[in-house]
Amino acid sequence: MISGLTDADSLPVLERMMQFASRRQRLLADAVANFDTPGHRPLDVSVTDFQSALGEAVDERRERHSARGGALPLASTDEVRVAGDRLELTPGEANANVLFHDENDRDLDRAMQALAENVMTMRTMTTLHRSRMDLLASALRERP
Amino acid sequence: MYGVLDISTSGLVAQRTRMTVIAQNQANRNTLLNAEGEYEPYRRRITVFAPGDPASGTGEGVRVKEIREDPAPLQARYEPGSPFADADGYVHYPNVNSVIEQMDAMEAQRAYDANIAVAEGTKAIMESVLRLIA
Repeated sequence: MISGLTDADSLPVLERMMQFASRRQRLLADAVANFDTPGHRPLDVSVTDFQSALGEAVDERRERHSARGGALPLASTDEVRVAGDRLELTPGEANANVLFHDENDRDLDRAMQALAENVMTMRTMTTLHRSRMDLLASALRERP
Repeated sequence: MYGVLDISTSGLVAQRTRMTVIAQNQANRNTLLNAEGEYEPYRRRITVFAPGDPASGTGEGVRVKEIREDPAPLQARYEPGSPFADADGYVHYPNVNSVIEQMDAMEAQRAYDANIAVAEGTKAIMESVLRLIA
């Protein structure tokens, strides 16, 4: 990390959100793959919990440093453990639906909605990250 | 991120196997003889899934645990003239119900589509991440 460049503005927040979304994609894929597995209960992590932890970290960072940057003091939550640069997820049961006869509580619509949401989040984060990097690149080139 | 595609692929493989079994059930709806040509009505096969994917060696994903025979009773039809009739004149036909098989096939197809949708989403993510570097 180049201090002041790669931890400036929204970049650390975008990075954390991307990490979270890519980890969550794995859980969502597993839930869909096991739609017809007897007794399988899909796992998921709460996005709102993580986002509120992220929001608190942003507020704290703003108080601690100036508005321009500095490291992001992200705290671990019940489901998301912050281990240095990595995020470790301990998902709980998504239990969104009634149990079927095969003791699976599948919910296709919710799963697909969560998937669409996750992909969209990831796309938004990468687009924002990229525009930020483009800005940096044009600053380095000293011309637009 | 590549591991996520493995999970979706395991789902595709499992659903395709299920489809093969359904096709076999449908094809053998009226099969009375076994491979040796002896009287042994075909029994419906059921695919049983379990979590975990041996291909990637992780606990995520899905695999076909076993393909077992349906213990449901065979369909008895009164055909006293048939060479396969029992003492009471009944011939036992396979316990395959065409309607159930069709429903099952539809479900397998939808589940396959769902796994494709997840794989497409994962690909979209991977593409947008790769564009960060390029």
